[in-house]
Amino acid sequence: MKPARWACCSAFAAALWLAAAGAAAGAVVEPTRAEVLVDDRAQPPPDDAAWRTVRLPDASHDGRARALWLRIAFERPADGEPWAVYWPYLYGGGAFWLNGAPLASVPQTDATRHVRWQRPQLIPLPESRLRPGPNVLQVRVVAADPPNGLLMARPAIGPHAALLPQHDRRLLWMRTMPQAIGLVCLLASVLVAFIWWRRPSEVLYGLFALALALWGARTLVFVVEQLPNAEWAASRAFYHAATGGFIVVLSLFAMRYAGAYRQWVGRALFGYWAIGPLVRLLPAAQAEAWVGRLWIAGMIPVGMSIAVFIGRAWWRDRSAESAALLAAVALAVTAGVHDYLVAWRAPIVELLLPGWPGHRILLMHHGATLLLLVMGFLLTARFVDTLFEVEVLNRTLEERIAAREAALAENYERLAQLERERATTEERQRIMQDMHDGLGSQLVTALYRTERGALDAAQTSALLRGCIDDMRLAIDALAPADQDFGVALANLRWRWQPQLEAAGIVPQWTIEAPAEGWPLSAHAGLQVLRVLQEALTNVIKHAHAGRVEVSIRTTDGAFVLDVRDDGCGIAATFASPSGRGLANMRRRAQRIGARLQAQPAAPGTRIVLTLPVAATRIA
Amino acid sequence: MSISVLVVDDEPEFLRRFSDAVLSDAELQLLGAVATGEAARAMLQATAPDVTLVDLGLPDLPGVELIRETTRRRPDADMLVITVFGDDEHVLASIEAGATGYLLKDTSVERIVAAIKEVHAGGSPISPSIARRVLARCRVGTAPAAAPSPAPLDPGAPPLSQRETDILRFVAKGLSFAEIGTHLEISPHTVVSHVKKIYRKLAVHSRGEAVYEAGQMGLL
Repeated sequence: MKPARWACCSAFAAALWLAAAGAAAGAVVEPTRAEVLVDDRAQPPPDDAAWRTVRLPDASHDGRARALWLRIAFERPADGEPWAVYWPYLYGGGAFWLNGAPLASVPQTDATRHVRWQRPQLIPLPESRLRPGPNVLQVRVVAADPPNGLLMARPAIGPHAALLPQHDRRLLWMRTMPQAIGLVCLLASVLVAFIWWRRPSEVLYGLFALALALWGARTLVFVVEQLPNAEWAASRAFYHAATGGFIVVLSLFAMRYAGAYRQWVGRALFGYWAIGPLVRLLPAAQAEAWVGRLWIAGMIPVGMSIAVFIGRAWWRDRSAESAALLAAVALAVTAGVHDYLVAWRAPIVELLLPGWPGHRILLMHHGATLLLLVMGFLLTARFVDTLFEVEVLNRTLEERIAAREAALAENYERLAQLERERATTEERQRIMQDMHDGLGSQLVTALYRTERGALDAAQTSALLRGCIDDMRLAIDALAPADQDFGVALANLRWRWQPQLEAAGIVPQWTIEAPAEGWPLSAHAGLQVLRVLQEALTNVIKHAHAGRVEVSIRTTDGAFVLDVRDDGCGIAATFASPSGRGLANMRRRAQRIGARLQAQPAAPGTRIVLTLPVAATRIA
Repeated sequence: MSISVLVVDDEPEFLRRFSDAVLSDAELQLLGAVATGEAARAMLQATAPDVTLVDLGLPDLPGVELIRETTRRRPDADMLVITVFGDDEHVLASIEAGATGYLLKDTSVERIVAAIKEVHAGGSPISPSIARRVLARCRVGTAPAAAPSPAPLDPGAPPLSQRETDILRFVAKGLSFAEIGTHLEISPHTVVSHVKKIYRKLAVHSRGEAVYEAGQMGLL
């Protein structure tokens, strides 16, 4: 980006230089002397009046005279080419006479109006009016408003074709360019102001927009070439307000750029700025001189402070942007001082560059334009840099969010792990308690009964087998790798199948495992399996059944175990005093929040355990 | 044409019970009943019992070691593991060492006799938990869904046939051999012989066995 930017700047500067240089003069006569007579008459004074000779261009004339006449003699060679006279400026207007007869005229400042004629003149000399040999050109020059006053340009007389480029060039630089720049500045100002409107915190953009607007307005003042007397003072006040405002705004910009803005300085600058236009509106003949000469002179240190602030900023950051800005400010300030000295015809300029002020070449236009351009580049570069920064920031932010998410996920995982461990521990404790209460008390009961001789061998064996079966269930339910009700159920089925068959009972299993797995915790599963085991034990021991149907499934919101035999019915099956089976089953069901129903079937018994799924997770 | 049986258990009560069971059947011949690993090793070197019942918790050497030694020397020998609860890790380890089945210690006398005859006739018992573990160990290539074997299979994992896989899946659901036979339209006897084949595959492919073989061949 940076080299490209520099290339653009350089190209622009080179274009300016090339356009200013060049041009040639063929057989052109550039008179360095003329005869002058201060005279307000509308017609050329007679030849015998008190003419005196001056060097051209002349800017030394008394500012109080209203008009003067110039007389220039020239030879017309007999080459037959169409001739013309080129007059670089005629700020207050005037008239051209050739060989004693009127030739052309430009609107002139008079009692009713002010004229600011910015255009150069290229006036054809008609062949019919030219004499072979010596000719006389007489020009009426009307005094322009200060600081211009009575200025006599150095004209050129010669072939029209040879003078045209010179004329066009001055027209371009002194009139067309300012117009174009004025318009461009106003347009750009609107654009920048829009940015600032959306981002009021970017004060630099606001100041830049203001500077553009002021410079555009100041430049466009020159488009108006004639003004009635009544509007003249206001027009000048406006012009000075724009010029001074431009300098003040640039100064504020520089201070902010350097980070050295102080409110009191801003206020002081504003106060000083307001003085100029107000003074210009005073109904005093000297108002223009006070403002144009003194007040504007006060702006010179302000302008220099701009260079100081930018220089300070550059000293700190050493950036190419600041360096470019510093160079542009230095150029613009120099141009401004130059223009001031030239406009007021400071003796030092005449001393250093004799005749230079008379050419009325003003540089501030271009210096300021260059400065605005650099400021524009700079703010655009900042804008683009900001965009890049935002991109980088976004990326960093995304990375941070990702890291935070990962950390959160890790935390969550750790919490989940803890939760799982806690759940497992609680589950183990529940089962331990269960074994303690169930298996433990069963064994102690068996011990007591055996010790008091209440059990025969077969009864003891049955009691102990019951204990072993219970233990198996607990082990299946606890097996760490298969904490799945399905596997424990399969093991139970696999163990009971041969026992049932040996007892002459045909079992029929209907197991509808849900695709997402059984909704039972290890503890709940263990209780369900115990109920099933108890039911099967009762079928074998007491029901005298030929068939048993076991159905296990989940329905809407519930887990259902259904055991149905075709034996002797509830009353007979659960009549045995030793088999408190039904009560046991109820208690186990209750413990996990399930409902147990024992119903008579026709024939036989049906035991149904229903566990709402909401309860299964907790149980 | 009787079946010779060796019983190895350090618990006198269990030793007595299994010996009594063998003696109770005319087709079975009790070759010996020993209480230590060393005694069992000596018996196994001196004689060739058709079926050996081995307790895993011997005082002097691991029952698994005894099984490994024996089946390496006599691949056709049937070794049945005696276990209290059929607790799965140990049972699977013995099967990988070469055991062709297991007996629970509370098994009735009739079931002990039947199991010995069954294993000698070429069948093997299997519980749902063991079936599940075998399935997990083998990671059958034809397994549905579960992304086609994410990691290259354990080189020690034996490949199972489709039929063997089906049988293991049914067993894991708790179906009896008879029920499985009905489902697959084969006889229950064929089902049990499939299970024994699966056990043999496991034994040959078990990593410990492979390392042992390699050591024998001087590769390690």
